[in-house]
Amino acid sequence: MTPFKLQIITPEKTFFDGETDQIIVRTTVGDVGILNGHEPYCAALGIGQLRVRINGEFRRAATSGGIIKVSKEKTVILAQTCEWADEIDLNRAEAAKSTAEERMKSAKGDNELRMAEAKLRRALNRIDTASFLK
Amino acid sequence: MKDIKRRIKSVGSTRQITKAMELVSSSKLRKAKLRAEQARPYFNELYKSMCEIASANTDFSTVFTVKRPIKHRLFIVVAGDRGLAGGYNSNVLKMAVAAHENDAEKPKIIAIGKKAGEYFEKRDYEIVASYENIAENIKPNQAQDIADIAINMFRSGEIDEVVVFFTMFVSSIAQEAQQMSVLPMETHKLENYGTMTYDPSPEAVFNRIVPRFAASLIQCAVVESYASEQGARRTAMENATDNADAMTESLSLLYNRARQASITTEIIDIVSGASAQS
Repeated sequence: MTPFKLQIITPEKTFFDGETDQIIVRTTVGDVGILNGHEPYCAALGIGQLRVRINGEFRRAATSGGIIKVSKEKTVILAQTCEWADEIDLNRAEAAKSTAEERMKSAKGDNELRMAEAKLRRALNRIDTASFLK
Repeated sequence: MKDIKRRIKSVGSTRQITKAMELVSSSKLRKAKLRAEQARPYFNELYKSMCEIASANTDFSTVFTVKRPIKHRLFIVVAGDRGLAGGYNSNVLKMAVAAHENDAEKPKIIAIGKKAGEYFEKRDYEIVASYENIAENIKPNQAQDIADIAINMFRSGEIDEVVVFFTMFVSSIAQEAQQMSVLPMETHKLENYGTMTYDPSPEAVFNRIVPRFAASLIQCAVVESYASEQGARRTAMENATDNADAMTESLSLLYNRARQASITTEIIDIVSGASAQS
Protein backbone atom coordinates (compact mmCIF):
# COMPACT_ATOMS: atom_id res chain seq x y z
CA MET A 1 0.00 0.00 0.00
CA THR A 2 1.19 3.47 -0.76
CA PRO A 3 1.92 5.40 2.40
CA PHE A 4 0.64 8.92 2.96
CA LYS A 5 1.35 11.74 5.37
CA LEU A 6 -0.49 11.85 8.66
CA GLN A 7 -0.44 14.46 11.39
CA ILE A 8 -2.15 14.04 14.72
CA ILE A 9 -2.34 17.26 16.67
CA THR A 10 -3.70 17.68 20.19
CA PRO A 11 -4.13 20.90 22.18
CA GLU A 12 -0.96 20.05 24.08
CA LYS A 13 1.40 19.01 21.33
CA THR A 14 1.88 17.52 17.90
CA PHE A 15 1.23 13.93 18.82
CA PHE A 16 2.25 12.20 15.61
CA ASP A 17 3.82 13.41 12.39
CA GLY A 18 4.83 10.76 9.88
CA GLU A 19 3.76 8.27 7.26
CA THR A 20 1.08 5.63 7.44
CA ASP A 21 -0.43 3.04 5.10
CA GLN A 22 -3.96 3.17 6.40
CA ILE A 23 -5.96 4.65 9.24
CA ILE A 24 -9.31 3.69 10.68
CA VAL A 25 -10.95 6.37 12.72
CA ARG A 26 -14.16 6.65 14.74
CA THR A 27 -16.26 9.56 13.51
CA THR A 28 -19.66 10.68 14.72
CA VAL A 29 -21.25 8.61 11.95
CA GLY A 30 -19.16 5.45 12.40
CA ASP A 31 -15.75 4.00 11.66
CA VAL A 32 -14.11 5.37 8.53
CA GLY A 33 -11.06 3.92 6.82
CA ILE A 34 -8.66 6.19 4.96
CA LEU A 35 -6.19 5.00 2.35
CA ASN A 36 -3.82 6.94 0.15
CA GLY A 37 -5.64 8.99 -2.49
CA HIS A 38 -8.83 9.40 -0.51
CA GLU A 39 -11.05 12.25 -1.68
CA PRO A 40 -10.99 15.46 0.37
CA TYR A 41 -13.04 14.61 3.39
CA CYS A 42 -13.87 16.16 6.72
CA ALA A 43 -15.76 14.74 9.66
CA ALA A 44 -16.06 15.22 13.39
CA LEU A 45 -14.59 12.56 15.65
CA GLY A 46 -16.46 10.73 18.34
CA ILE A 47 -15.06 9.05 21.41
CA GLY A 48 -13.42 5.88 20.20
CA GLN A 49 -10.35 4.17 18.86
CA LEU A 50 -8.01 5.31 16.20
CA ARG A 51 -6.00 2.70 14.36
CA VAL A 52 -2.91 3.75 12.47
CA ARG A 53 -1.13 1.23 10.27
CA ILE A 54 2.63 1.68 10.17
CA ASN A 55 4.75 -0.90 8.30
CA GLY A 56 1.89 -3.35 8.11
CA GLU A 57 1.07 -3.20 11.78
CA PHE A 58 -1.81 -1.37 13.43
CA ARG A 59 -1.17 0.85 16.40
CA ARG A 60 -4.16 1.66 18.51
CA ALA A 61 -4.90 4.91 20.24
CA ALA A 62 -7.80 6.25 22.28
CA THR A 63 -9.20 9.57 21.07
CA SER A 64 -12.01 11.75 22.30
CA GLY A 65 -13.52 14.31 20.01
CA GLY A 66 -12.01 16.51 17.37
CA ILE A 67 -12.01 16.41 13.59
CA ILE A 68 -10.30 14.61 10.75
CA LYS A 69 -9.44 16.44 7.59
CA VAL A 70 -8.22 14.60 4.53
CA SER A 71 -6.70 16.67 1.78
CA LYS A 72 -4.51 15.81 -1.18
CA GLU A 73 -1.22 16.59 0.56
CA LYS A 74 -1.89 15.11 3.96
CA THR A 75 -4.37 13.92 6.52
CA VAL A 76 -4.73 15.90 9.70
CA ILE A 77 -6.42 14.62 12.83
CA LEU A 78 -7.17 17.26 15.42
CA ALA A 79 -7.97 15.37 18.59
CA GLN A 80 -9.00 16.74 21.93
CA THR A 81 -7.04 13.93 23.54
CA CYS A 82 -5.02 11.12 21.99
CA GLU A 83 -3.06 8.36 23.72
CA TRP A 84 -1.39 5.26 22.34
CA ALA A 85 -2.83 2.10 23.84
CA ASP A 86 0.49 1.15 25.43
CA GLU A 87 0.81 4.54 27.08
CA ILE A 88 -2.54 4.48 28.81
CA ASP A 89 -2.35 4.27 32.57
CA LEU A 90 -4.99 1.65 33.37
CA ASN A 91 -5.11 2.50 37.06
CA ARG A 92 -5.77 6.13 36.31
CA ALA A 93 -8.45 5.24 33.78
CA GLU A 94 -10.17 2.98 36.31
CA ALA A 95 -10.03 5.76 38.88
CA ALA A 96 -11.51 8.20 36.39
CA LYS A 97 -14.25 5.69 35.68
CA SER A 98 -15.29 5.40 39.32
CA THR A 99 -15.25 9.17 39.90
CA ALA A 100 -17.39 9.60 36.81
CA GLU A 101 -19.85 7.00 38.05
CA GLU A 102 -20.07 8.69 41.42
CA ARG A 103 -20.59 12.06 39.83
CA MET A 104 -23.38 10.68 37.69
CA LYS A 105 -25.19 9.48 40.80
CA SER A 106 -24.85 12.80 42.59
CA ALA A 107 -25.37 14.98 39.51
CA LYS A 108 -27.80 17.85 39.81
CA GLY A 109 -29.38 18.94 36.56
CA ASP A 110 -28.87 17.89 32.97
CA ASN A 111 -25.59 19.67 32.47
CA GLU A 112 -23.76 17.96 35.28
CA LEU A 113 -25.16 14.63 34.21
CA ARG A 114 -24.03 15.16 30.63
CA MET A 115 -20.54 16.16 31.74
CA ALA A 116 -20.25 13.14 34.03
CA GLU A 117 -21.51 10.85 31.29
CA ALA A 118 -18.95 12.16 28.82
CA LYS A 119 -16.23 11.62 31.41
CA LEU A 120 -17.40 8.06 31.91
CA ARG A 121 -17.44 7.39 28.17
CA ARG A 122 -13.88 8.70 27.84
CA ALA A 123 -12.70 6.54 30.72
CA LEU A 124 -14.38 3.43 29.32
CA ASN A 125 -12.87 4.09 25.90
CA ARG A 126 -9.40 4.32 27.41
CA ILE A 127 -9.88 1.11 29.34
CA ASP A 128 -11.16 -0.67 26.21
CA THR A 129 -8.27 0.57 24.12
CA ALA A 130 -5.67 -0.40 26.68
CA SER A 131 -7.10 -3.87 27.24
CA PHE A 132 -6.78 -4.66 23.52
CA LEU A 133 -3.09 -5.18 24.15
CA LYS A 134 -3.61 -8.22 26.32
CA MET B 1 25.21 53.91 62.06
CA LYS B 2 23.45 50.93 63.54
CA ASP B 3 20.34 51.86 61.58
CA ILE B 4 22.19 51.86 58.31
CA LYS B 5 23.75 48.52 59.08
CA ARG B 6 20.33 47.07 59.79
CA ARG B 7 18.95 48.45 56.55
CA ILE B 8 21.80 47.00 54.52
CA LYS B 9 21.04 43.64 56.03
CA SER B 10 17.32 43.80 55.30
CA VAL B 11 17.86 44.98 51.73
CA GLY B 12 20.31 42.13 51.30
CA SER B 13 17.81 39.50 52.41
CA THR B 14 15.10 41.01 50.22
CA ARG B 15 17.50 40.82 47.33
CA GLN B 16 18.03 37.14 48.04
CA ILE B 17 14.29 36.54 47.81
CA THR B 18 13.81 38.51 44.62
CA LYS B 19 16.81 36.82 43.05
CA ALA B 20 15.41 33.40 43.93
CA MET B 21 12.01 34.32 42.51
CA GLU B 22 13.67 35.56 39.36
CA LEU B 23 15.43 32.25 38.89
CA VAL B 24 12.28 30.24 39.56
CA SER B 25 10.34 32.33 37.06
CA SER B 26 13.04 31.91 34.45
CA SER B 27 12.85 28.15 34.58
CA LYS B 28 9.04 28.15 34.69
CA LEU B 29 9.02 30.59 31.82
CA ARG B 30 11.03 28.24 29.65
CA LYS B 31 8.53 25.43 30.21
CA ALA B 32 5.52 27.70 29.78
CA LYS B 33 6.88 29.12 26.55
CA LEU B 34 7.21 25.64 25.12
CA ARG B 35 3.65 24.79 26.09
CA ALA B 36 2.33 27.95 24.53
CA GLU B 37 4.13 27.19 21.31
CA GLN B 38 2.88 23.61 21.23
CA ALA B 39 -0.71 24.68 21.74
CA ARG B 40 -0.74 26.92 18.69
CA PRO B 41 -0.84 24.41 15.77
CA TYR B 42 -4.03 22.80 17.07
CA PHE B 43 -5.73 26.14 17.47
CA ASN B 44 -4.63 27.38 14.05
CA GLU B 45 -5.73 24.22 12.25
CA LEU B 46 -9.12 24.27 13.95
CA TYR B 47 -9.66 27.89 13.07
CA LYS B 48 -8.67 27.25 9.48
CA SER B 49 -11.10 24.33 9.23
CA MET B 50 -13.94 26.46 10.50
CA CYS B 51 -13.16 29.23 8.06
CA GLU B 52 -13.07 26.68 5.26
CA ILE B 53 -16.50 25.40 6.14
CA ALA B 54 -17.89 28.91 6.40
CA SER B 55 -16.29 29.97 3.12
CA ALA B 56 -17.46 26.94 1.18
CA ASN B 57 -21.03 27.25 2.40
CA THR B 58 -22.07 30.86 2.03
CA ASP B 59 -25.70 30.32 2.88
CA PHE B 60 -25.20 28.40 6.04
CA SER B 61 -25.83 29.67 9.52
CA THR B 62 -25.95 28.06 12.92
CA VAL B 63 -26.78 29.15 16.45
CA PHE B 64 -23.12 29.94 16.93
CA THR B 65 -22.73 32.42 14.09
CA VAL B 66 -25.96 34.41 14.40
CA LYS B 67 -25.42 37.83 15.91
CA ARG B 68 -28.11 38.76 18.39
CA PRO B 69 -28.59 42.20 19.90
CA ILE B 70 -26.18 42.20 22.82
CA LYS B 71 -27.87 42.52 26.18
CA HIS B 72 -25.95 40.23 28.46
CA ARG B 73 -22.30 39.45 28.17
CA LEU B 74 -20.00 36.87 29.66
CA PHE B 75 -16.36 37.71 30.28
CA ILE B 76 -13.81 34.99 30.74
CA VAL B 77 -10.89 36.67 32.45
CA VAL B 78 -7.52 34.96 32.78
CA ALA B 79 -5.17 36.38 35.42
CA GLY B 80 -2.58 34.91 37.74
CA ASP B 81 -2.87 33.07 41.03
CA ARG B 82 -0.15 35.19 42.61
CA GLY B 83 0.97 38.76 42.65
CA LEU B 84 4.45 40.24 42.38
CA ALA B 85 4.42 40.11 38.62
CA GLY B 86 4.61 43.77 37.71
CA GLY B 87 1.55 44.99 35.86
CA TYR B 88 0.52 41.54 34.69
CA ASN B 89 -2.63 41.15 36.76
CA SER B 90 -3.74 44.75 36.81
CA ASN B 91 -3.35 45.22 33.06
CA VAL B 92 -5.69 42.44 32.08
CA LEU B 93 -8.20 43.21 34.86
CA LYS B 94 -8.29 46.89 33.95
CA MET B 95 -8.86 45.99 30.34
CA ALA B 96 -11.85 43.82 31.25
CA VAL B 97 -13.33 46.62 33.34
CA ALA B 98 -12.76 49.22 30.63
CA ALA B 99 -14.43 46.98 28.06
CA HIS B 100 -17.85 47.18 29.68
CA GLU B 101 -17.79 50.83 30.72
CA ASN B 102 -20.58 51.77 28.34
CA ASP B 103 -22.76 48.75 29.05
CA ALA B 104 -26.06 49.07 30.86
CA GLU B 105 -25.25 46.17 33.14
CA LYS B 106 -22.18 44.44 34.45
CA PRO B 107 -21.11 41.34 32.59
CA LYS B 108 -21.14 37.88 34.11
CA ILE B 109 -17.68 36.58 34.90
CA ILE B 110 -15.78 33.34 34.64
CA ALA B 111 -12.58 33.95 36.56
CA ILE B 112 -9.45 31.93 35.88
CA GLY B 113 -6.74 32.61 38.45
CA LYS B 114 -7.09 33.60 42.07
CA LYS B 115 -6.36 37.26 41.44
CA ALA B 116 -9.18 37.53 38.91
CA GLY B 117 -11.63 35.82 41.27
CA GLU B 118 -10.77 38.09 44.19
CA TYR B 119 -10.90 41.22 42.07
CA PHE B 120 -14.38 40.64 40.67
CA GLU B 121 -15.80 39.28 43.87
CA LYS B 122 -14.80 42.42 45.71
CA ARG B 123 -16.57 44.52 43.11
CA ASP B 124 -19.86 42.61 43.19
CA TYR B 125 -19.85 41.02 39.79
CA GLU B 126 -21.91 37.94 39.15
CA ILE B 127 -19.36 35.16 39.06
CA VAL B 128 -20.48 32.09 37.15
CA ALA B 129 -17.42 30.03 37.92
CA SER B 130 -14.01 30.61 39.39
CA TYR B 131 -10.89 28.52 38.99
CA GLU B 132 -7.66 28.63 40.96
CA ASN B 133 -4.30 27.00 40.44
CA ILE B 134 -5.11 25.46 37.09
CA ALA B 135 -3.01 27.68 34.83
CA GLU B 136 0.29 25.90 35.29
CA ASN B 137 -1.01 22.54 34.17
CA ILE B 138 -4.29 23.02 32.37
CA LYS B 139 -5.62 19.89 30.68
CA PRO B 140 -7.72 19.93 27.51
CA ASN B 141 -10.64 18.42 29.41
CA GLN B 142 -10.58 21.23 31.96
CA ALA B 143 -10.59 23.79 29.19
CA GLN B 144 -13.52 21.92 27.66
CA ASP B 145 -15.48 22.09 30.92
CA ILE B 146 -15.02 25.85 31.05
CA ALA B 147 -15.97 26.19 27.38
CA ASP B 148 -19.08 24.05 27.88
CA ILE B 149 -20.36 26.35 30.61
CA ALA B 150 -20.06 29.33 28.28
CA ILE B 151 -21.56 27.48 25.31
CA ASN B 152 -24.56 26.25 27.26
CA MET B 153 -25.26 29.75 28.54
CA PHE B 154 -24.95 31.12 25.04
CA ARG B 155 -27.21 28.50 23.55
CA SER B 156 -29.92 28.99 26.15
CA GLY B 157 -29.98 32.72 25.44
CA GLU B 158 -28.78 33.64 28.91
CA ILE B 159 -25.92 35.57 27.33
CA ASP B 160 -25.44 37.01 23.86
CA GLU B 161 -21.69 37.34 23.70
CA VAL B 162 -18.63 35.66 25.16
CA VAL B 163 -15.33 37.51 25.36
CA VAL B 164 -12.01 36.20 26.64
CA PHE B 165 -9.47 38.51 28.28
CA PHE B 166 -5.94 37.23 28.50
CA THR B 167 -2.31 38.26 28.15
CA MET B 168 -0.56 37.50 24.91
CA PHE B 169 3.01 36.37 25.22
CA VAL B 170 4.87 38.49 22.67
CA SER B 171 8.35 37.87 24.03
CA SER B 172 10.07 37.29 27.34
CA ILE B 173 10.10 41.00 28.04
CA ALA B 174 6.90 42.09 26.30
CA GLN B 175 3.40 40.88 27.19
CA GLU B 176 0.20 42.42 26.02
CA ALA B 177 -3.29 42.24 27.50
CA GLN B 178 -5.82 41.33 24.83
CA GLN B 179 -9.48 40.61 24.33
CA MET B 180 -10.93 38.12 21.93
CA SER B 181 -14.53 37.41 21.14
CA VAL B 182 -15.43 33.70 21.22
CA LEU B 183 -19.15 33.64 20.55
CA PRO B 184 -20.86 34.46 18.29
CA MET B 185 -18.29 32.88 16.07
CA GLU B 186 -16.51 35.07 13.59
CA THR B 187 -14.95 33.48 10.57
CA HIS B 188 -13.20 35.21 7.75
CA LYS B 189 -13.56 34.24 4.12
CA LEU B 190 -10.71 32.31 2.60
CA GLU B 191 -9.80 32.99 -1.00
CA ASN B 192 -8.89 29.50 -2.04
CA TYR B 193 -10.29 26.48 -0.38
CA GLY B 194 -10.69 23.00 -1.81
CA THR B 195 -13.96 21.26 -2.25
CA MET B 196 -14.54 18.85 0.54
CA THR B 197 -17.01 16.22 1.48
CA TYR B 198 -18.42 16.84 4.91
CA ASP B 199 -19.72 13.86 6.78
CA PRO B 200 -22.62 14.01 7.60
CA SER B 201 -23.06 17.71 6.68
CA PRO B 202 -21.07 20.97 6.89
CA GLU B 203 -23.38 22.32 9.59
CA ALA B 204 -23.07 19.19 11.69
CA VAL B 205 -19.28 19.23 11.47
CA PHE B 206 -19.19 22.94 12.18
CA ASN B 207 -21.39 22.64 15.24
CA ARG B 208 -19.18 19.85 16.48
CA ILE B 209 -16.07 21.94 16.04
CA VAL B 210 -17.34 25.06 17.81
CA PRO B 211 -17.12 23.60 21.35
CA ARG B 212 -13.65 22.24 20.55
CA PHE B 213 -12.61 25.56 19.20
CA ALA B 214 -13.88 27.43 22.24
CA ALA B 215 -12.00 25.00 24.48
CA SER B 216 -8.87 25.37 22.42
CA LEU B 217 -9.12 29.14 22.59
CA ILE B 218 -9.42 29.00 26.35
CA GLN B 219 -6.52 26.57 26.56
CA CYS B 220 -4.39 28.85 24.42
CA ALA B 221 -5.44 31.92 26.39
CA VAL B 222 -4.47 30.21 29.63
CA VAL B 223 -1.08 28.92 28.51
CA GLU B 224 -0.24 32.24 26.84
CA SER B 225 -1.23 34.08 30.00
CA TYR B 226 0.78 31.75 32.16
CA ALA B 227 3.88 32.27 30.05
CA SER B 228 3.24 36.02 30.23
CA GLU B 229 2.88 35.86 33.98
CA GLN B 230 6.24 34.17 34.34
CA GLY B 231 7.83 36.63 31.93
CA ALA B 232 6.33 39.60 33.77
CA ARG B 233 7.40 38.23 37.12
CA ARG B 234 10.90 37.58 35.93
CA THR B 235 11.26 41.14 34.64
CA ALA B 236 9.76 42.56 37.82
CA MET B 237 12.06 40.52 40.01
CA GLU B 238 15.06 41.33 37.89
CA ASN B 239 14.32 45.03 38.39
CA ALA B 240 13.80 44.49 42.10
CA THR B 241 17.15 42.72 42.35
CA ASP B 242 18.86 45.53 40.47
CA ASN B 243 17.22 48.08 42.75
CA ALA B 244 18.34 46.16 45.79
CA ASP B 245 21.90 46.15 44.45
CA ALA B 246 21.82 49.90 43.86
CA MET B 247 20.39 50.45 47.31
CA THR B 248 23.02 48.32 49.02
CA GLU B 249 25.69 50.24 47.19
CA SER B 250 24.46 53.67 48.25
CA LEU B 251 23.78 52.46 51.76
CA SER B 252 27.27 51.05 52.18
CA LEU B 253 28.66 54.34 50.90
CA LEU B 254 26.61 56.11 53.53
CA TYR B 255 27.70 53.62 56.14
CA ASN B 256 31.38 54.02 55.33
CA ARG B 257 31.07 57.77 55.42
CA ALA B 258 29.37 57.67 58.81
CA ARG B 259 32.01 55.30 60.10
CA GLN B 260 34.79 57.57 58.80
CA ALA B 261 33.12 60.57 60.38
CA SER B 262 32.88 58.89 63.76
CA ILE B 263 36.54 57.84 63.61
CA THR B 264 37.55 61.36 62.69
CA THR B 265 35.64 62.81 65.63
CA GLU B 266 37.26 60.33 67.95
CA ILE B 267 40.76 61.23 66.73
CA ILE B 268 39.99 64.91 67.10
CA ASP B 269 38.79 64.25 70.63
CA ILE B 270 41.97 62.40 71.53
CA VAL B 271 44.28 64.88 69.87
CA SER B 272 42.60 67.90 71.39
CA GLY B 273 42.57 66.16 74.77
CA ALA B 274 46.30 65.43 74.52
CA SER B 275 47.22 68.94 73.40
CA ALA B 276 45.25 70.43 76.28
CA GLN B 277 47.33 68.48 78.77
CA SER B 278 50.72 69.42 77.40
